[in-house]
Order: sequence, then C-alpha cells, then structure tokens
Amino acid sequence: MPNILIVAPILFPFILSALLFLNDWEEKTRNRWILWGIILNFFILIFNFSVLEVNRIHILKFNEFVDIYFKIDMIGIVFSLLVSFLWILTAFYSIGYMAHERKPNRFFIFFTATLGVTIGIALAGNLVTLYLFYELLTLFTFPLVIHAGNETALKAGYKYLIYSFTGATLSLFGMFMIYSQTQNLDFMPGGILNVINENEIFYYFTAYALTFCGFGVKAGLVPFHSWLPSAMIAPTPVSALLHAVAVVKSGIFALVRITYYIFGPALILMIKGNHFALALILITILTGSFLAIHQTNLKKRLAYSTISQLGYIMLGLVVFNPNSFTGGMLHMIFHALIKITLFFCVGAIMHITGKTEIHEIQGLGKQLPKLMWCFSLSAVALIGIPPTSGFVSKWYLATGGLQSGSFIIPVVLLLSALLTAGYLLPIITIAFFKPIPNGEPVYQEPLPFMLIPIMILTGIVLLIGLFPNPIINVLETIANTVI
Amino acid sequence: MTLLHNYYESASIILFGIGLCTLMLNQNLIKKIIGMNIMDTSIFLFLVSKGYIAGRSAPIITENYQGVNAYVNPIPSALILTGIVVAVSVTAFLLALTIKLYESYGTVDLEEILKMKGDDHGVNNKLPFS
Amino acid sequence: MELITSFPLAEIFILFISAFLMPFFKKDKHIKIISISFLLIAFILSVFTLMFVFQNGPFYYAAGHIDTILGIQLYIGPVEALLSFVFLFVFILVVWFSFSTIDAEIQENRIKLFYIMVNLLAASILGIIFTNDIFNGYVFIEVAALTSCGIVVVKETQENIKAALKYLIMSTIGSGLILMGIAFIYAFTGHLNIELIHQVVLEDHETFQKSLLITVALFTAGLGVKSAMFPLHTWLPDAHSSAPTASSALLSAIVLKAFAFFLIKILYRMIGFDLVNQFSILTIILILGCCGMIFGSLSAIFQKNIKRLIAYSSIAQMGYVFFGIGLGSPFGAAIAVYHMVGHAVTKSALFMCSGLMIEETGHKTIDRYKGLGHEMPITFALFTLGAFSMIGIPILPGFISKWYLSLECIHLDKLLLIFVVLSSSLLNAVYYFPILINGFFGIENLQDKEYRSKKVPVKKTIPIAILILAMILIGALSKNILDFISPEFGL
Repeated sequence: MPNILIVAPILFPFILSALLFLNDWEEKTRNRWILWGIILNFFILIFNFSVLEVNRIHILKFNEFVDIYFKIDMIGIVFSLLVSFLWILTAFYSIGYMAHERKPNRFFIFFTATLGVTIGIALAGNLVTLYLFYELLTLFTFPLVIHAGNETALKAGYKYLIYSFTGATLSLFGMFMIYSQTQNLDFMPGGILNVINENEIFYYFTAYALTFCGFGVKAGLVPFHSWLPSAMIAPTPVSALLHAVAVVKSGIFALVRITYYIFGPALILMIKGNHFALALILITILTGSFLAIHQTNLKKRLAYSTISQLGYIMLGLVVFNPNSFTGGMLHMIFHALIKITLFFCVGAIMHITGKTEIHEIQGLGKQLPKLMWCFSLSAVALIGIPPTSGFVSKWYLATGGLQSGSFIIPVVLLLSALLTAGYLLPIITIAFFKPIPNGEPVYQEPLPFMLIPIMILTGIVLLIGLFPNPIINVLETIANTVI
Repeated sequence: MTLLHNYYESASIILFGIGLCTLMLNQNLIKKIIGMNIMDTSIFLFLVSKGYIAGRSAPIITENYQGVNAYVNPIPSALILTGIVVAVSVTAFLLALTIKLYESYGTVDLEEILKMKGDDHGVNNKLPFS
Repeated sequence: MELITSFPLAEIFILFISAFLMPFFKKDKHIKIISISFLLIAFILSVFTLMFVFQNGPFYYAAGHIDTILGIQLYIGPVEALLSFVFLFVFILVVWFSFSTIDAEIQENRIKLFYIMVNLLAASILGIIFTNDIFNGYVFIEVAALTSCGIVVVKETQENIKAALKYLIMSTIGSGLILMGIAFIYAFTGHLNIELIHQVVLEDHETFQKSLLITVALFTAGLGVKSAMFPLHTWLPDAHSSAPTASSALLSAIVLKAFAFFLIKILYRMIGFDLVNQFSILTIILILGCCGMIFGSLSAIFQKNIKRLIAYSSIAQMGYVFFGIGLGSPFGAAIAVYHMVGHAVTKSALFMCSGLMIEETGHKTIDRYKGLGHEMPITFALFTLGAFSMIGIPILPGFISKWYLSLECIHLDKLLLIFVVLSSSLLNAVYYFPILINGFFGIENLQDKEYRSKKVPVKKTIPIAILILAMILIGALSKNILDFISPEFGL
C-alpha cells in the first residue's frame, strides 16, 4: 500500500498534535518535537511529490457522494508546499513568541493539527473532502483565535465561527445543487459541468453565486469580511499564519477549485458568474484599501490590507485569462510571504515594546533597525514597486485584465496600489524619520528565534521578486491545463 | 338526511366534539378528566354501533348455537371492553396525579398551577451572541 | 427457524413478566438485577431476530396461531428488527446508567416502581414496533403513555407532577384521536390488521375517499401529539427536563420515535405510498416538520437550563423525522427511520451526560458550565461528540441524515427545502457551540476550584461511551443500514 503515503503528511501533524496533548513535556523537549516534526512533514511532502507513482487514494467511500478522496495535482503541490514551508518558519517564530504567553501547550496542539488540516485542503480530490477539511479548519483554528481567553477574544471567536459556518452552509447548499446535476464532485481541470442550455442558466448561476460567497467568507470577500479584523485579537503568529496565510488562502484555494475544477471557465462565462464575482471583488479591493487607511492599530491595518490584497488574488481568478490566473496565483504566493513577514515584524514590535498603535512607533527605525528594515522592504514589495515581487504579480494581473479587454481592472489595480502605498508608507516614514520621543527606553532587537525567520522571509521576498521565473513557469503550466 | 339515518354515528361525533372541547378548553382538571371520559365513551358508542346489526342478538351462546347470522359482530364489543379498561386506568392515573397536584398546589385549576413558576423554569432572555 | 419467529412475541412477554415479577422482591438491588437481566435476554433475542431477518427477509407471526382476521399478528421486517434492536440496546445502557444515578434522584421507595415502569415501557415500545394490528397498537400506545408518564412522575416534585399531568392530558387527547381513527377505519374496512386494511383500501378507496382523509388526519394528529410534532409539542420540554435523567433519556430517545414509527406504519403500510401522496396531509406533515426544525432550535437558543435545551433540540430532531416522512417518497421514510436510529443513540447519550453534569456541578444552567471541560473531561468530551452529531459534523449520523434528506429534496425537485435543513443545522450549531466553547475555553468558574475530574467515576461514563461509540458506528455504517431498511419501503 504505497499510496497510503499520500495521507501521511495530513495524518502526521495530527499524530504530533496528539503526542503534544498526551505528553507533558519540558519546554525544550516540546519545542524540539514541534520543530523536527514540522520540518519532517515538509520533507515527507516533498518525498511524496517526487517519488510516489500513484497519485490518488480513496480513504472512505460511503457512496458516490460522501467519498473521502485525496489526489495530488500541480496546484495542490504548490499550495501545500507553500503552506508547510511557511509553517516551519512560523514554528520557529512562535516558539520565540509564545515563550512568555499563557498556555503555550494548547497553542501548539492546535497549531500543529491545523497544518494537517490545511494540507488536507490542498490535497483533497473532490469537493466533499475539501468541504470536510474546510469545516475542520474552522474548528481547529477557533481555539487559536480565542487563545487570549478574555471576553473580547471569545466574542471575536464566536464571530469567526458564525461567519465560517454560515459560509460553509451556503457552499454546502451550492454543492447539493451541483451534485444533483452531475452526481460527481471530483475535481477535473476545466470543470466537470458540461455546457448547458438556456433555461438552466439561472440554476447554475445560483449555485455558483452560493459557493462563491460561501467559500469567499474565508477569503475575506466583502461584505463577509468583518470576522477577519476581529480575529486579529489572536496571538500574532496565529494572525500571521492563519489570517494572512492558511485560513484565507484556503478560502482562495477553495475558490480556485470550484471555479476551475468544478464549474470550469466556459460555463461561468456562459452564466455570467464572473460579472457577479468581479463586482464583489472590485468592491473588496477598494473597501479593504480605504478601510486600511483609517486604521490606527498596526495589526488592524494589516488585516484590512489583507482583505484588499485577497481581492487581487480573486480578481486574477475570475478574469479567465492565463495571464491573470498566473498573476493571481503568483500574488497568492507572494502575498503569503510578504504578509507573514509584515505580521511577524508587527508581532515582534508588540513583543518587544508593547506598542500596537501606529503613532507610537516613532523613531523605532533607529532603535530596531534590522526589524524595521525587514518591515520596510516587505512593505515596498507589497506596494509593488519594481523590481520587487509585488510588482511582478500585479503586472501579470494588469496584462491579463487588458488582454481580456477590460479597462476597469488596471484602473482599480493602479488606484489600489496608490492606496496601498498610502497606508503602508506612513508606517515606514513614522518609524524612520520621526525623532525618538523623549524618555524612550532602549530596545533590544528580538530574539534570534523570531528575528531569523523574519530575515529569511525578507530575503525570499526580495529574491523571488528578482527571479520569479521558476514559479511563473509552474503556474503557467497549471494555467494552460485549466483554461 | 344521512345524518339522521346515521344517528348513532352523528351522536357519537357530537359527543366526541364535546369531550374534546371540554378536555382542551377547560382549565379545571376534574372537568378535563370528565371531558376525556366523554370523548372515550363517544368512540365506544361509535364502535359498538358499527358492530350492531339490527334484529340480532348478542354473541353469547346461551342454549344452542343459532348460526352465524343470528348474532351481531362481536369484535367491536371486544375492542370496547379493552378500550374501557384502558380508559379506566388512564382516568385513575389522571385522578391520582390530580390529587397529588392538589396537595402541593392547593388548586385543581391548571392555569393557576402553570402560573406558579417552579425553580428553574427560567428562559434566557439574552441571545448567546449579543 | 420456526422458533426464531416467535422471538419478537417472547421479547414482549418476558419484559411484561419481568415487570410483574418485580413487586415480589424487596431489595432494590434485586429489582435492578431483574430489570437489566430481562432486558438483556430480550436484547439477545432481538439480535437473533435481526440476524434472522437479515438472512431470510421479513416474516409474520400470528400470536396464538389464530386466523389472522381475528387474531393479532406481528410483522417483523428489517425496520422493525433494527428498531427493536437499537431501542433495546439503548434501554439496557440507560438502565445500566440509572443504577448509579437513580438513587440520588428519586425517593428510595420509588426505585422499585421506576424499574417496573421501565420494563413495562420497554415491552410496550416493542409492541408498538412489532404489531401489525392497529387496535393492538393502540393498547400498547396507551401502556407506553401511562408508563412514560410514570417514569416522569416517579420523582415526586411539584415540577414533575405538573409536567406529568400536562404530558398525560396531551397524550390522552392524542389517544382519543387515535382511537377515533381506528374506529373510523374499522367502520369502513371491517379490519384491524394493517395488511388487510391496506388491501381493502387499495380496492375501493374511491368510495370512502373523504373518510380515509379524516382517518389519516386523526392518526397524524394523535400520533403527532405523542411524538411532539411542532405545534403539539408544548408538553415535551417540561416533561423531559423535569424527569430523572434516565427517564429523560428514554423518553427523548425512544418513546417519541416509537410513535413516529407507528405513524410511518399507518401512512405507508396501511394506506400506501401512492394513496397517501394524493392527500395534502403529507404536505402538512412536511411543513410542520420544517417548522419544528426551525422553531425547536430557535427556542433552544434561549434556554439556559441544559435539560430544557436538549429537550427543545429533540423537538427539532423530531422535525427531521417528520420532514423525512412528509417528503412522501420511500427513501424519505427510510431516512426518517435512519434518523430515528441515530438520534435515539445520540440523544440518550446527551441526556445522560447532562445528568452527570448536573449531578457533579449541582447546577442546571449552562452558564455555570464554563470550564467544565477541565473539570470532567471524559463526560464533557462525550457530550461534545454527541453535540457534533446534532450539529452535523460529517460522518456522524446527524450529518448523514441531513445529507440524505438534502439529496432526497434535490431528487424530488424541492430545492428550497434544503435551505430549511441547512439553516436548521446552523441553528443547532448556534446553541450547542456556546456550551462546548465555554466548557473548554471559559475558565471563569475554575478559579479557586478543585478539579473534580477524578470524582466522576469512570463506571458512570461507560454506558455513555458505549452509546457514543455506537453512534459513530451508526454513522460509519449508514450505507449498510439504509440498504438494509430501504427494501421495506419498496426501494
């Protein structure tokens, strides 16, 4: 049974999590287990992708419908590698960050389990499996969101739960509608639905709108976004990983799956689902940017920026042009890397100085130069100033938009890029060019456990902007199979 | 006119209605129990009238067997006997409970009893997420 | 082989006999042993019956070998065998559980009475399930109603007497309606045997179309009262929340289901699918089921007493059963039965967990359960699993029945109904999740408090654990179960 290995990277984090739960290890032992476990998982994943010949496995099959089924394909590989790589860095960072927080054990139990769930989403072979892991993701990340354990955190947690479950319910409704027509929910590049006749357009439109909105909840689609800023109450590694990377990107990934692997571009164009989606997405981009400008809290500003950036990614998905698709997926990867760096920096600032508001960080650039340089470089990359990575993805998005004959897309992109600059650059100027207020203590740079992941990530962000070609090649291959 | 011809059935349905209304609308427990008995009795009347065939005798062989056609249908009677037993036991149980209730509340009026709230009857007025 | 066919009757009989034996014993301990050992014997017989039906298909059994027109006949098909098996299983575990809790809950001189009632209830429930004769069914229904009131009132508080009286009055109305229905159907078919009535109804239903409609309406309303169909459910929360824990578990898990199953028998075996579908009665059942699903859950959201909350959740869950019945398709009825099975196991476990929680904390309100997950982890974990099934986490039975109900809605082209199913399951999440979250993550109550996890003996949680295990099994074997019972409905 070599193909049982496919599920190994999904199961392994759960085993690790169970071990953490069952053993009351010393801090050092625990950290060692977590780090080696997560790194090992990354290599299991790579081993799987390079060695395994069989690429699919049915775990449990109740009937045509409830069928737990995993399949390795290109886009799943990209997503799962991205996730597990970032997980390693976050593990390092969290060990530094959580050293003085309450209940680190509980945090790491759910932290490791969430890795398994996310890889499950990446490797799911049909919509039902995806949905299952999507629900599990909500359940496993919930304890992380309410980790602070106070009233505000619990409230934010409830909000997160209600939004997520409502979303999942909407998409489940859509799934039923699809299933009733196809009797099959396996992912196929280019979609499983055949081109339909006139009077079924409304039916499919409803199904698409429901699934899109449903999975869009996790992807921060306006008007379903308000859980995301609230959930920033969580510890920073959680905000960074879950709310900039794992959870929202799982939402995006689910959207990719339903758009390109269930409905298929041809059908969506026919039912004009893309118009509906495009309208929501453009609103998302602009709302996110505008709201971000008004935030004075660092984490909140980044959260709203996430909403707007997620809009870019979704934009790339619904234009149905190979360039846009590549751009969207590129932005998914780049945004993950950049946003996690930004969050790590903000978390480190909070950890060292206890400051959370933007006006408080005056002159911090002189006190914590390494940290603030990393922050600035990543921020510049997110704005998309050439030759950073953000520029590459936005370039692809804009060309894709132009090729499809729509002028509103480049315009919105430009406008939003300006807004991005508008909300990120002030942070940099305040940190570097404002004088240090009187009576400020001298701060130490963060612990190596926290600083090294940040520096590695910044390095990757810069490098990948200069040499994006290998990734672009992979993504273009995917784009050609699905469109 | 069919109503008049079927006067057993009509009467029993009317009785059934009276019983049901008494059972549901009266707040006095004793009257409720009476209503229940009226209701049950009306059904017995209905059933027994279904089993009765004019001009035939009860299906009890006293001296000699007179053939199937001489007797009425015995099944409804048997059913009613069972039904009466059931009704009696339910009535007894209800009455026992009523006595218990009267002992602890001092009244047999259901409305008043329901007004006297118990200890943990409470309803949460706050939404869990508000 | 011949012997096995008499097992169903034997099950009923030995349970009745056990109930009548109990008064002769003085010690509570002996009573308990008699109660569970006879239930165990009946359970073993039901296992044989189930296996027999699985191999040989459904069979009839004429009680006393009297000609069927006059005699009482039992019909044991896959559904009957399965339900009797599951219900007896739940009965045994609940009785087992009650050994450790009942002493604290009711007066000592009532314990004997309680077990007599339980065994009588078990016998009558089996009778309702097996019988193929509607009048016989009525008698069993009455016995079940009296005994289930008995196990509520056995705990003699004001609250209980009031609840039991309310229950008994409502149930009397139900019985009256059912008996009237029986009188009607007997009046124009001349039979009491479900099969024979079915034949007559098939032949000349046109001559008494309206009377048939009235009959069906009478049965629906009567059995609806007893199985807490939506607007007739008012008695349920009081009765189920005030009763001793073991009684609540039995009432919620089993008694409601037996009546609902009798309704399925009446609608689908006595009248038949084709004919019932011509009446608007199914639509009404469907709508009431939907209302029950939504309003039961909505009311549960506002409850702060945990047992009332679970009781309201039962109303919502019975809504699913009526929803399945009301769909009017064979598969709908099969799912309704499946839901009964799943819910019987889950709800009894939930009630027993809540009983332990109340016993250990001394509080009935859910806001006192913050941090309970740390105090009594095993109990609370079991509660969580049960609640997950209610909410509809995949693979657990709650999810499976919602899933199939939705599929069947699609199949019947009633897409909007899926929305009802889904929103109801969302509402379930709304009231179960706060309990779970506060239990695991709320820590306010834990300060200055000793952890009492060691005080809950594992012994008490074993029956619950077995039930939860069975629940997962029922979820995992859903396909086999549905395959087993669907032929009954002509699939």
